[in-house]
Amino acid sequence: MNTIIIDGLSFALPLLIIAIGGIYSERSGITNLALEGLLGFGAFSGGLFVAATAGVFAPTSQVPLYLSFLVAAGGGALFSILHAVLCIKFRADQVISGVVVNIVSIALTGFFTSTINAAVFGQASNKFMLSTSPRLTIPLISKIPLLGAVFTNFYPFEVIILVLVALCWYLLYRTRYGLHLRAAGDNPQALDAAGIDVARVRFKAVLMSGALSGVGGMCFAYSISTNFSPAIYFGSGYLAIAALIFGNWKIMPTFAACLIFGFARSAAYQLVLALNADASVADLAMITPYVITLLLLAFFAKTNRSPRALGELYDKSKR
Amino acid sequence: MSEVIGVIGAGGKARPDSAAESDVILELRHVTKRFPGVVANDDVSLSVRRGEIFALLGENGAGKSTLASMVFGMYEPDEGQLFVRGTETRITSPAEAVALNIGMVHQHFKLVSNYTVAENIVLGDEPLRRVAGVLPWLDMRGAEQRIADLSARYGLEVDPCAVIENLGVSAQQRVEILKMLYRDSEILIFDEPTAMLTPQEIEHLLNIMRNLRREGKTVILITHKLDEIKQVATRCAVLARGKLVDVLEVADTTTAKLAAKMVGYDLALTIEKKSAALDNAPTVLQVDHLTVEDDNKFPVVNDVSFRVRAGEIFAVAGVAGNGQTQLADAIAGLAAVKSGAISLDGVDLTQMTVRQRARAGIAYIPEDRHGMGLILDLPLLQNLGLKSYFHHPFSQRGILQTEAFEHHARRLIDDYDIRAGQGPRTLTRQMSGGNQQKAIVAREVELDSRLLIFVQPTRGLDIGATMAIRRRILDQRDSGKAILLISLELDEVLALADTIGVMYGGRMQKIAPAATMDRYQVGEYMMGARASTSASASTSTNASISPNTPATSAAPATSAAPEASAAPAEVQAGTGTQQG
Amino acid sequence: MTKKKPLQLFARLLGNERWQFITIPAFSILCSLVAISVIILLIGKNPLEAFSSLLAGAGWIAKSNYAGGKAAFTDFMDMLDAFTPMLFAALAVTVALKSGLFNIGVAGQMLLSGFIATVAVGYSDLPSVVARPLVLLIGIVVGAAAGALMGWLKDRFNIHEVVSSIMLNYIFQYVISFFIKTRYIDPVSRQSRMAAASARLEITDIKIAGVTTHFPLGLVLALIAAIGIWFLLAKTKTGLELTATGLNAKSARYAGIRTGRTLIIAMGISGALAGLAGVTYYLGSVRSIIPGELTSVGFDSIAVALLGNTHPLGNIASSLLITTLTSGSTYMSSTVGVRQEIASLIVGMILLFSACGGYLKLWVQRATSEQLPDKGSESVHPRTISGQEEQA
Repeated sequence: MNTIIIDGLSFALPLLIIAIGGIYSERSGITNLALEGLLGFGAFSGGLFVAATAGVFAPTSQVPLYLSFLVAAGGGALFSILHAVLCIKFRADQVISGVVVNIVSIALTGFFTSTINAAVFGQASNKFMLSTSPRLTIPLISKIPLLGAVFTNFYPFEVIILVLVALCWYLLYRTRYGLHLRAAGDNPQALDAAGIDVARVRFKAVLMSGALSGVGGMCFAYSISTNFSPAIYFGSGYLAIAALIFGNWKIMPTFAACLIFGFARSAAYQLVLALNADASVADLAMITPYVITLLLLAFFAKTNRSPRALGELYDKSKR
Repeated sequence: MSEVIGVIGAGGKARPDSAAESDVILELRHVTKRFPGVVANDDVSLSVRRGEIFALLGENGAGKSTLASMVFGMYEPDEGQLFVRGTETRITSPAEAVALNIGMVHQHFKLVSNYTVAENIVLGDEPLRRVAGVLPWLDMRGAEQRIADLSARYGLEVDPCAVIENLGVSAQQRVEILKMLYRDSEILIFDEPTAMLTPQEIEHLLNIMRNLRREGKTVILITHKLDEIKQVATRCAVLARGKLVDVLEVADTTTAKLAAKMVGYDLALTIEKKSAALDNAPTVLQVDHLTVEDDNKFPVVNDVSFRVRAGEIFAVAGVAGNGQTQLADAIAGLAAVKSGAISLDGVDLTQMTVRQRARAGIAYIPEDRHGMGLILDLPLLQNLGLKSYFHHPFSQRGILQTEAFEHHARRLIDDYDIRAGQGPRTLTRQMSGGNQQKAIVAREVELDSRLLIFVQPTRGLDIGATMAIRRRILDQRDSGKAILLISLELDEVLALADTIGVMYGGRMQKIAPAATMDRYQVGEYMMGARASTSASASTSTNASISPNTPATSAAPATSAAPEASAAPAEVQAGTGTQQG
Repeated sequence: MTKKKPLQLFARLLGNERWQFITIPAFSILCSLVAISVIILLIGKNPLEAFSSLLAGAGWIAKSNYAGGKAAFTDFMDMLDAFTPMLFAALAVTVALKSGLFNIGVAGQMLLSGFIATVAVGYSDLPSVVARPLVLLIGIVVGAAAGALMGWLKDRFNIHEVVSSIMLNYIFQYVISFFIKTRYIDPVSRQSRMAAASARLEITDIKIAGVTTHFPLGLVLALIAAIGIWFLLAKTKTGLELTATGLNAKSARYAGIRTGRTLIIAMGISGALAGLAGVTYYLGSVRSIIPGELTSVGFDSIAVALLGNTHPLGNIASSLLITTLTSGSTYMSSTVGVRQEIASLIVGMILLFSACGGYLKLWVQRATSEQLPDKGSESVHPRTISGQEEQA
């Protein structure tokens, strides 16, 4: 039971931060199917950073670990410029642009990981190795039955994510920028008439989604495989989209959706272990989050209301 | 921030009235603006004085909205200069206009539907407080207080905490006015502000404008309604075909003179209409206790019953958002019926699909031309065949017969005077709004259906196209068709209806022969102020729960009603078109 | 003004609307080749050499030497092997896009139909006269069912097809992986067991002038399908309904089209084509299935469809291009030493630039209309254009 909670949280929280990235972009009116590509590129940047600075820091130093999240955020934001420029400046179809960004991300990171490994580090590999992330346990509180599992054996990044979530909530609902962002997704004309540059607001929102996805991608790189490899593209970006749709484009309900996915996933794994079945059965267990996503969407997709101006081009001349 | 109101008030007082009259606050010199294919404004020069209500009069396409948009920074003039308070200024964005204390209420309100009134008003100029001395935090409570003060001062009642999508048109308009006042605007531009309002709400709005003037504000009123100008404006500029025709002192002129200036010739705008002989006419459309719910399970059409006879125009009047569109959609089969029945010539249609109903005899000219009536990215010939492509001669064994489409299109283009650059192959998107509407009317009339539903058939069209379509509607009636006309334009309803039904809050408040109702009576039903005996019990509760119900307070409007009832309705019958 | 000149010349070059369907994709390809050349130069290789070895690898031009029994012709047939499923897959994406739907579940639909056909026919000993048509039939039926399922999910539950198809991709992938690992595994290759030759949609061991080659049976069918889909979309009642729904679903409903049904039909046709792609892939050049892996054909086909201007016949040209890139890349990486992944990078770049095609069109339109001096000064008054909506 404790393992279900521990593993569930370590999956749900990165998913949440990616989904919040999606919320930022979509609440501003830009459909973002590019989350998958953004998180991958973020993780690539973070992985590259760790590989490149391997000799700089002491082997036991935690500094590269924390810096890699920062670099991943930067990488994700940088790559998201592509989506922003395609959607806002070049007026591309936002769905198509998202898929294109994903394809380019996979191709680009695959190419550069292999090329850099071969050229710089002199090895044939499509991975950047990371250091193992430490795991923390808070004494005393972790002894509480059931609830204590939340404070047991967690990754430092889970704390970072919770802080980020609070910041994101504040930025979206309690600041000028947040007010502008949500207005851009409902009625960009109104925002424009109020003298605010809609394109700018949206651009920043897409950048935010890139940065947050990058952080989420880095978390997955640490928690799932302790390296960066093409395996990072396992569909979490799309899961995050499903979570935010299920969460009705709001942060707190999306949190709940991510927890459901996380726990469903870890519970399925534990079930396979408990039944002592062989590895191929794990394949069947793997489908749980996806099946649950479909089922939940079947119940909730109809009643949920997407932002009114989502996916619409905003043309200044058409006032 | 809050002291600024006081400053303006003091400024207004400091100037004696006579001095204010001659003080020019805004001047345009030789302004020209071109759009591809059109000269919207051609060498226009005029000046607006501080503290006056200056009207811009002209029919659709005369260039008045373009002119105002340039003052508000939405376009820049191609030639000419703009002077604000005596200094030459380039206004390149609405933000710059706002900084110059210029505000505008657009025809289509610029409001964020899921935000509160206060959030909408402060958008772009938000008050902040610091939490724990550092963290900037939106100060909505402070904003709400200031807005409450402003609305009390100018008589603009509205709850700062209400969410926009729950407010009616007239309340939303008051929010737009508050938006300008919040930014200390001195020059207030109103673009066709009365198009969507009932006569009583119009009175209320005109009173607000008088208030604003009294407080020292300058008002620029864009309209094509002559009686409004006569009631509130001090001076009036008449525009026609982009050119300035004249600037008149309103006190020295008559509405007839204004009308003649506006169109350049004497008007023959009243349509001749034979009275319909309906006593023995058979019922074509019968609607019984129809209820339609929206996505939130709210009854947008609530227990509506009426009938339309052969050779009758049944016109539904009402303020926007009172269930008219959903009523039309439900009859055409596009909205699910919750309960009740719809029948045509005695045949029950309630369970039929859209296509079955169309084939049974319903033609439908929808309100949303671009979003529904046409597929803009298909060529004209396919749009003209949109309702008949699936049967002979257009389709044979599932294969489209191009010649049949072409032939059909050519005939309709000739018969209905549709102008399309490349004939049947013209991409519909490239046609003008009037010709697009003509194409829809042509297609639907050609179906030769028993019932024709027209929703807002002349919205945004100029006089020529408007008159052509209204004549077409009357011809159809005279040939024995049943017509259901839904219009937000009361003038259109009054000009064409044989029978008037008024919708409010999803209910049909009143049904009566057109001859027995005047515009003010219709207006009262439109606001739900008067309820027919059968519906009276439920109206008040209905009004408080409906998200679509205009939350207008009827009190000031009704009290102002009698003195204005002498308005020249017959001139308006033709000019009363709304801009797109 | 002088600064504008070359730009305007360029605009006029792209400006002819009749040829835009070819000039704009050509421009996208050119841009991406330039971008890739820069990357190749940066890693210290010669881009021209790389591109020519790419063409040689795909059999368009001759390599410097060949192993016994091989010739450029063999390489070309190898390329056509890859071309056949690619064209089917691209047509699947095209039909969906034309109907306003985005089928990124092609890869999953391919896998599902390929797997079922392999298990049902590939492991039987039916004679090829029966087996081959049966494989095609299974491809069509299974693919159509999978596609229609997504259409139904959208119609009934409002689940966006992109989300549902991604979810189904993973579900198919894992479930099939489970079955292969538990029942159909080849212990040596760690893939599914080889399908019987009699069920394969491929004629092998053809000997022409001392060269051994093979011929993909699906090729003819794929070309026929491209023409058939063009006819369907442009000339039939159903095609008009699909296009109308794709352009404006609300208008289509108003016109009496049952859009929910149209949606399911569109996804069904798209799925059937994806199914054909699946069987021509898994029972064509490839003979077995790697558990837990989706073929890149499914995703590349999106690029192909977009590049082909979502026109069924345009897809033929773009499929040829993309398969040339992918099948030539192995030879390129072995001779020039540029990593094989560059092929997918080129595809990505082409996609990126073709996503801007719409903007380019708009830009060209604006640039060329500026050239005509003041059409407006002929003073077409608002009144003379009857019903002109006011510009505001």
